[in-house]
Amino acid sequence: MDFISLLGLIITLAIDTAFSWVRMFAALAVSIVISIFVGIYAATHKYAEKIILPIVDILQTLPILAFFPFVIFIIVAAIPGSIGINLAVVFLIITSMIWNIIFGVYESIKVLPKEYGEISKLYGLSRIERFRKIYLPAVMPRVVEQSTLSWSIGLFYLVTSEIFSTGNSQYAVKTGIGAAIASPLITGSALAYGLALLVFIVFVIATRLLFFKPLEEYVVRYNRHTQQKPESRAISYAKVMGSFGSRIARRLNPQQLIRSSGSAKTAMKKRGARSVREEGGIATIEKYGTAIKYAAVALIILGIAYVFITNPALMGYEATVLRALVYTFARVWFAFAIALLIGVPVSVYLIFLTRHSSKYLLLFQILSSIPATILLPAIVAGLKGTPYHGEITAVIIFVLGGVWYIIFSTMNMAKTLSPSIPEVKGIYGVKGADAWKKIYIRAIIPGLITGGITAIAAEWNASIVAEYFTVGNNVAAQVGIGVGKLLDLSLSANNLTLMLLAVANITVMIILLNTFVWKKLYRSVSKMYG
Amino acid sequence: MKMVQAKNISYSFSPESVIIGDVSFDADKDEFVSLIGPSGCGKSTLLRIIAGLVKPTGGKTLYMGKKVDGPSSGMSFVFQDFALLPWLTNLDNVKIGCSMMKLSESEKEKKAEIMLDKMGLSGFERSYPNVLSGGMKQRVGIARALVSDPKVLLMDEPFSSLDELTAETLRSDIIYHLKNKNLPVNSVIMVTHNVEEAVELSDKLIILSKKPSHVAATKHIDLKRPRNKRSKEFLDIMDSVYATLAK
Ligand SMILES: Nc1ncnc2c1ncn2[C@@H]1O[C@H](COP(=O)(O)OP(=O)(O)OP(=O)(O)O)[C@@H](O)[C@H]1O
Ligand SMILES: [Mg+2]
Repeated sequence: MDFISLLGLIITLAIDTAFSWVRMFAALAVSIVISIFVGIYAATHKYAEKIILPIVDILQTLPILAFFPFVIFIIVAAIPGSIGINLAVVFLIITSMIWNIIFGVYESIKVLPKEYGEISKLYGLSRIERFRKIYLPAVMPRVVEQSTLSWSIGLFYLVTSEIFSTGNSQYAVKTGIGAAIASPLITGSALAYGLALLVFIVFVIATRLLFFKPLEEYVVRYNRHTQQKPESRAISYAKVMGSFGSRIARRLNPQQLIRSSGSAKTAMKKRGARSVREEGGIATIEKYGTAIKYAAVALIILGIAYVFITNPALMGYEATVLRALVYTFARVWFAFAIALLIGVPVSVYLIFLTRHSSKYLLLFQILSSIPATILLPAIVAGLKGTPYHGEITAVIIFVLGGVWYIIFSTMNMAKTLSPSIPEVKGIYGVKGADAWKKIYIRAIIPGLITGGITAIAAEWNASIVAEYFTVGNNVAAQVGIGVGKLLDLSLSANNLTLMLLAVANITVMIILLNTFVWKKLYRSVSKMYG
Repeated sequence: MKMVQAKNISYSFSPESVIIGDVSFDADKDEFVSLIGPSGCGKSTLLRIIAGLVKPTGGKTLYMGKKVDGPSSGMSFVFQDFALLPWLTNLDNVKIGCSMMKLSESEKEKKAEIMLDKMGLSGFERSYPNVLSGGMKQRVGIARALVSDPKVLLMDEPFSSLDELTAETLRSDIIYHLKNKNLPVNSVIMVTHNVEEAVELSDKLIILSKKPSHVAATKHIDLKRPRNKRSKEFLDIMDSVYATLAK
């Protein structure tokens, strides 16, 4: 490749990425605006709170990407052409970004001292003034903080949905880095692919340094007096990583978060008050969440039953879907086991065994914002000719998609423990198997649950491209049977029924798993952790 | 006999931020030493250096004449935030303190039970730290520190996360055990920012300057115990400590 065409390629890739970034920023803007209103509304209205919180809690654990084939089908049917496709992509990214921002807004209002409400009554502030002068400034720090995290999650959805869309010319995104990655032009040449990856990473780092970092600094400076404690960041990280974890985080001993001696007592009082107030939110999710979950499952099952009764022929479809679900389920959990084998030692090393975890953390943050699915072409090329390469590709993507959640959430949950715990280990000389048994594993369990639930959701999300990856008009890698593949095929075949059935089945399965596996685990752990 | 000697300790995170300039002091046998100084002057860091948890940038610590380069079973530590492991029962938390001892599990258990009892917590062996009040948690933390029969007890603001009444009771319990030789502990080094507490408990008071810190003054306090906090002598000593701190 000569210099001119190389330069041309870089410029094209930069333009592609810029288009993707426009989608990302559009989604972020919409997410923030909606989150602010919904979050404040939920925090200030008792009845709304009881409905909104549990719903957001369920939605943030669903693998929403699985809905994408359905969403794109519906939206493009209503608005044909590239506008519809782009709307579908942006919509999807919003569904990945919005939940943790809503929780962030909700919680910032909930922890506001009561005096703020009294002030606004005392001075007779109008609704709009109250919003502008009290609520908005109060929520901005968390909004910014959560946005950074939402961005990383959104990137995965962006790339995955763009790659997915190219699988079917009718729904293909024309310009975008995900679309480019999956085009024969790029996958055909290692150099071009490497460049695409490089351009993507440059954009990721530039966004972090030029957009989010200044924004964070601005908000911190602006809000210095509002006492954003450093540990709240740890907790909110954990929050993104999963809903149960956040609840566990808040239940962990609050006084163990205190570091500085001077303000220890006041901080303790404040945290105490805060956790009492937050308990309200947790209880709300627990109480109404279960009811809403059962209602949702019942509704879906009733729907499926109705469809079957009116259309007995569909039983065949259901059998197909269930079979596919079982295969993907096995793949997802096998990959999760591998992710644990990698993630647990890495987390323990970072939390307890090195003093340089902050250095690694930066590296990991950059690495983790590279969506696993962008590596598909490389993995496919690397495995060419290997038996079962389609299966292996899917599992590798699942592992890569899940392992970061395990590492980050264990690390962030560990921050909510007393910072002195590693010193306890040193002072009393706890070593070897004893240290693993009594300290390491126990300390990361809450993070494993938090990370586990989100890692698994991420794996299901990845399945729509990892199980059936197309380049141009060719299938580059595919599994034998899988629900991700089924979704792809049903979209190409315009088979709405099959698609809906698959989505309904996935939803029921995830909700059941969350209720009967993760929730149980969470309960037994939270009893122990207090 | 000198239990602990800190010799010309200095510490910096980076060349620009020197925290501890040059600090030397020692703790004799049967001496209760308090370190007091402005916030951020490196008291906690200094205590961790003595414990062998942190390597000093310069200088060294001697424990019974031997250089410290890592935690040893002769010196134990009490943390400001208790640092209990929430997933272990109170008894198991105390047993953690025996990790370096060559004892069977049941012997460790026995020791831990005795120590919990001494701290007034019998009946709470099987429950978890989260059911305890702050004062009781710190009792578990102190039991853990004492269960291995350390000769030197290091405490980093052990009472400052507690409310004043609780702290008062715990302080008098601790000093009672120490001075009545109920425990094999020979000397105590305690970090505090509470002048009254320091004067009440200590035989020797080391006042540190602000960072980069050095020893601003050393005061020997020979008031007889139990000390009357309203007595003129007590108040005079407090005044002079405040005066040094304000400099
Ligand atoms: N990682 C770090 N890098 C640079 N400076 C640090 C770091 N950690 C702590 N410091 C600084 O070191 C100083 C000493 O901390 P240390 O906790 O030992 O002080 P302290 O006297 O115990 O304070 P306090 O009264 O608040 O307990 C503080 O001024 C703190 O700001
Ligand atoms: Mg300190």
